[in-house]
Amino acid sequence: MSISLLAFLLAFFVFIFVVELIRRERLTFKYAFAWLFFALAGILFALFPQWIFSLSAFFGFALPSNFIFFALLGTFIFLSLLLTVFLCQQNKRNDRMAQRIGLLELEIETLKDRT
Amino acid sequence: MPLKILVIIPAYNEAGAIARTVREVLASPLAPVVLVVDDGSQDETFEIARRTGARVVRLPVNLGIGGAVQTGYRYAAAHGFDVALQLDGDGQHDAAYLRALVEPVLNGQADLVIGSRFLSAKEGFQSSWSRRLGIRFFRWLIAGLTGVRATDPTSGFRACGKRLIHIFAGYYPSDFPEPEAIVVAHRMGARVAEVPVVMRPRREGVSSIGTLKSPYYMIKVTVAILLHMIKQRKVYGP
Repeated sequence: MSISLLAFLLAFFVFIFVVELIRRERLTFKYAFAWLFFALAGILFALFPQWIFSLSAFFGFALPSNFIFFALLGTFIFLSLLLTVFLCQQNKRNDRMAQRIGLLELEIETLKDRT
Repeated sequence: MPLKILVIIPAYNEAGAIARTVREVLASPLAPVVLVVDDGSQDETFEIARRTGARVVRLPVNLGIGGAVQTGYRYAAAHGFDVALQLDGDGQHDAAYLRALVEPVLNGQADLVIGSRFLSAKEGFQSSWSRRLGIRFFRWLIAGLTGVRATDPTSGFRACGKRLIHIFAGYYPSDFPEPEAIVVAHRMGARVAEVPVVMRPRREGVSSIGTLKSPYYMIKVTVAILLHMIKQRKVYGP
């Protein structure tokens, strides 16, 4: 029983922490959504551990703990992949912006030379 | 109306070579507009390039050759240039060949023309043998995947017409731009041609193309090229 309490506290803490980060605008919705989703799922599974047992049995895991590790690993793979996507997006925007700044500076210089 | 021709010269820490390179291009009978893209150099490249009378874009950060060249294509697209040429700032490429590069674009034979040092009767600078081996592999890879014959796929001496200018302004590969751009052009239905050029060994600075001998580098370029064969066409533009 104490293990499921521990799991609940952990999931609850993550959830509250994410919410707090959003409240302070340290995390924006776009980036926080996946974290909120998984933290909420964690809370639900901690409250209703029988779901874990039935899912674990359904997928054929020998032990429910194996299923938990598997699910957590899957979660982190997904989250880090998502992070890489955001990183690429940011990188692309940075490049665009640098190009734009360079081009605008040239246009300004050209205008200055003309006057 | 005369055709508007732009020569894009990407330059990263090329203070020693940029002035001579730009002057050569400006003296070309094609009378091109010269745009130097200073890719966040730490040396005097920008100041020196400006004094030559070329138009100079200074990028606030180093984007790498792909990002620098794309800046040029964006300029070309924004200002309605008909032809854009690309030539390295290190002086390897001889401006005497600009006309030969432009010609197939102007008479409608090709959309992308690459200056190849391996087609020329005259030898010139041919690179080290290990590097040539790498080049030969990419030649084979690109031919096998696309059917495009590009004997010098890493050559950054090239010309393209209006349609590709607009495509490259929107999408230009940034990892290994020279060989990748050939595949991108092919996937967008462009016709790729080659003309023989003689290249000089670089006078100053260091090559931006990684060591073509390193197997790791070869694998990375190969994967990058393979990925272009499965990308959705819409990522390259309409």
